[in-house]
Amino acid sequence: MQIGFYLDQTRCTGCYACVVACKDWHDVPAGPASWMRVQTLERGKYPNLFVAFLTLSCLHCAEPACIEVCRSNAIVKRKEDGIVVVDREKCEGKDTCEICRQVCPYEAPQFGAEENAKMQMCNLCLDRLAENKKPICVSACPMRALDAGPMDELIAKYGNLREAAGFEYATSLRPSVIFKPKVEKAVSSVSLKR
Amino acid sequence: MVRSTKKTAGMEQVFVTACNSHCGGRCLLKVHVKDGVITRVETDDEDEPQFRACFRGRAYRQRVYDPNRLKYPMKRVGERGEGKFERISWDEALDKVAGELRRVKDTYGPASILFLQGGADTGVLQHRDLIERLLGKFGGFQGWWGTASFEGGLFATLASYGTYLSGSTRDDLLNSRLIVMWGWDPVVTVQECNTSWYLTQARERGAKVIAVDPRYTDSAATFADQWIPIIPGTDTAMLVAMAYVMITEELHNKVFLDTYTVGFERFRDYVLGMEDGIPKTPGWAEGITGVPAQTITNLARQYATIKPAALVAGIAPGRTAYGEQYHRAAIALAAMTGNIGVHGGWAGMSWQPRGYGGYPYKVGKRLTGEGNPLEVGAPPRKESFPAQGASASSFRIHCTKVADAILKGKSGGYPADYKLAYVIGTNYVNQYLDTNKIAMALKKLEFIVVQEQVMTAMARFADILLPTCTIMEKNDIAVGGGTPMFGYMRKVIEPLHESRSQFEIANKLAEKLGIKGYNDKTEDEWLREFIKGSDAPDYEEFKRKGRYKVKLSEPYVSFKEQLANVGKKPFPTPSGRIELYSQKLAEMKTPNLPPIPKYVEAWESRRDPLSKKYPLQLITSHPKRRAHTQYETLPWLRELVPQAVLINTHDAQARGIQDGDLVRVFNDRGEMAIKAKVTERIMPGVVDIPQGAWYDPDEKGVDRGGCVNVLTRDEPSPAGSFPSNTGLVQVQKY
Repeated sequence: MQIGFYLDQTRCTGCYACVVACKDWHDVPAGPASWMRVQTLERGKYPNLFVAFLTLSCLHCAEPACIEVCRSNAIVKRKEDGIVVVDREKCEGKDTCEICRQVCPYEAPQFGAEENAKMQMCNLCLDRLAENKKPICVSACPMRALDAGPMDELIAKYGNLREAAGFEYATSLRPSVIFKPKVEKAVSSVSLKR
Repeated sequence: MVRSTKKTAGMEQVFVTACNSHCGGRCLLKVHVKDGVITRVETDDEDEPQFRACFRGRAYRQRVYDPNRLKYPMKRVGERGEGKFERISWDEALDKVAGELRRVKDTYGPASILFLQGGADTGVLQHRDLIERLLGKFGGFQGWWGTASFEGGLFATLASYGTYLSGSTRDDLLNSRLIVMWGWDPVVTVQECNTSWYLTQARERGAKVIAVDPRYTDSAATFADQWIPIIPGTDTAMLVAMAYVMITEELHNKVFLDTYTVGFERFRDYVLGMEDGIPKTPGWAEGITGVPAQTITNLARQYATIKPAALVAGIAPGRTAYGEQYHRAAIALAAMTGNIGVHGGWAGMSWQPRGYGGYPYKVGKRLTGEGNPLEVGAPPRKESFPAQGASASSFRIHCTKVADAILKGKSGGYPADYKLAYVIGTNYVNQYLDTNKIAMALKKLEFIVVQEQVMTAMARFADILLPTCTIMEKNDIAVGGGTPMFGYMRKVIEPLHESRSQFEIANKLAEKLGIKGYNDKTEDEWLREFIKGSDAPDYEEFKRKGRYKVKLSEPYVSFKEQLANVGKKPFPTPSGRIELYSQKLAEMKTPNLPPIPKYVEAWESRRDPLSKKYPLQLITSHPKRRAHTQYETLPWLRELVPQAVLINTHDAQARGIQDGDLVRVFNDRGEMAIKAKVTERIMPGVVDIPQGAWYDPDEKGVDRGGCVNVLTRDEPSPAGSFPSNTGLVQVQKY
């Protein structure tokens, strides 16, 4: 089984509720580490614009690049649900390593501001999954744009589109995420007469 | 921040409580508490409709444990405004406040006591009304009129409908086939829980969404099929031109106008140019608004023919010079298209003050003010339609004129010379127009007491600071209107440090002042009283569950009754109809406040000669990371949305400004140093500085905190609109 994410990019307003809910739940202070990240894509020239939000955490790839490169075997993919977890005790720390971050195209491995910070990232809220609850980001989303669950169930429910505005599917890694993408077309806007 | 210790099963408790920040929304939080410390915050995951909180509510733990919290009562030791304080006891602080109130009343009279109040964290009980009650019973005070948020909309709604209650519940957006978001960005402002949630569902059901806005907002980006950028302050001209198209193409709903309105002919004559010789054609409006005539024509046709349609008049365009005309014109168009009192339509402004009873559910008794004895006997204000229940007394000064009133007093025509200010629930110096002038005026007062949670810009001006606790440290009730709900704001932890609830502070002060009949109930008794008179079935069950979701059989729409009972159920106006022409307005004879909606050119517009010196129009949008001035210090929010001036790429290039550069923004009123956010998402010629960042002047008087009101002008519109979106500035690279 593989647990993964779904993002309805047409609903996402970039409100950051998921980002802060995640930081609060996992007690991650303000700073460079953020398990959940929202990217704002702005394309086009005034007044013909395309703006979309892309909300991503660790995507718990079927074949994670981070595990391959980790020198201390700190990263493990769980057999029972495919969730990629890091053992921070084992992590060598960013002062000498940080290779996992370099190989991940989605910037999932995160490091805090502290000295020789150990890697941290989304664990799909293992504690909540154990209680049969959705991850905190999913239950936070005011737009019901996020979901998480077994990939086969997500695909049955939402289809199997693997790309979205600003997101490229890495075939070698097979990230566990599906989308309802926002189609890149500028809204019909009007030029302003100056 | 106080960190949670390792969680132990069974030791942690989870409480449902409500968030009542100053965003207009009311959401539900589930707060985890262990050993008297908040460890986590979740949101509503129970029955629909859920009240899911935004990122501000989710960051509440940082608000409670904010190092900037006021820990104990303090007295000023440095210069006023310098922010130097010394710890004192509650007894000493309240004795000093009571003593100063007595001294000032005895020496100068009660009118010299200014009551500066705001809507921060207002619940059913823990409310500015407690101090209004206290000062009223003490002998009176100088109050103000005009709300910074939506006075123009309030005025227009009262003038047209005879009531300010013109709203619909947010779920009625699902019935709309066209939604025009006019100057409305609910993704950022929230403005009632679930607004964006219903908007996205309406869109998915096939509603067409059009945004009219100088900015390509997050709401426009998410919901809109079309974006129409418009020059700030010219919205009325576009609306009037849309009326022209409807009239000349005979698209207006004559039956609706004949049956429910009065004065359409007068408006028509103005629109067609029969009154002033200027037909208000789309071509005419193009020259003013910058919107191509064809775009105006198309929108007019769509709004008149796609039914039902909701033109949601955001309250931002009303916060301009003559902003009341925009709201009056939007109501005229809603009438011309027959979108009033019907599902899927919209009667006017985007938000209505719910006034505890603005929606069809009952509410119980509250502990409130009982009036101001100084206002009794004063004639009504002639420039204003009083809100129901609110004082229309002419013994009030406009909310933008407090600094002017302090500086000039009686010699400036104000009712008194002002000596003392009691400040609660408002970061006044920061949030009202012309901050530098307010800061100067505050230095002239003899005494200022501020009730606050954190060391805000206003708190720095206090002589005595009274620390109040957050919603997590006291009991209260929140009332949500857009999706109707009562939320129990539960005391989940003991008050931090020496902070106290507003209720406790007011009671103690009333005792010190010897005010009789101030209050005879406990906190819990008042909340019980409120729920007893409401639709919620049982107080104990309400407390246990933490909320009562009001179930309506269908979405609520204002004025449905009037539509269904022609002649039997009049609108509460003098004529009994929707007043497109208002006789009362005609009788006021106030310059630039015509009896029909008209476009009046704003001061400091693009055509003002001053634009040669200050060529950029300034707007002051609502901040994403704050609710007005609240939440400003929270690290989780600050890192996500840096405070910056939004400037179009074209304007930035012309000034050699790159994204992230520190720039000067200035005019004759003030100057600030702020980072530039260079973007295509704002019109050329317009800059936006989100309001609410805290005033922090350096030794030269240049604001370093990002407080936009150092640039705004303290001049109200004729009907009281707060023109924070009218003004000219220049931007330069440092």
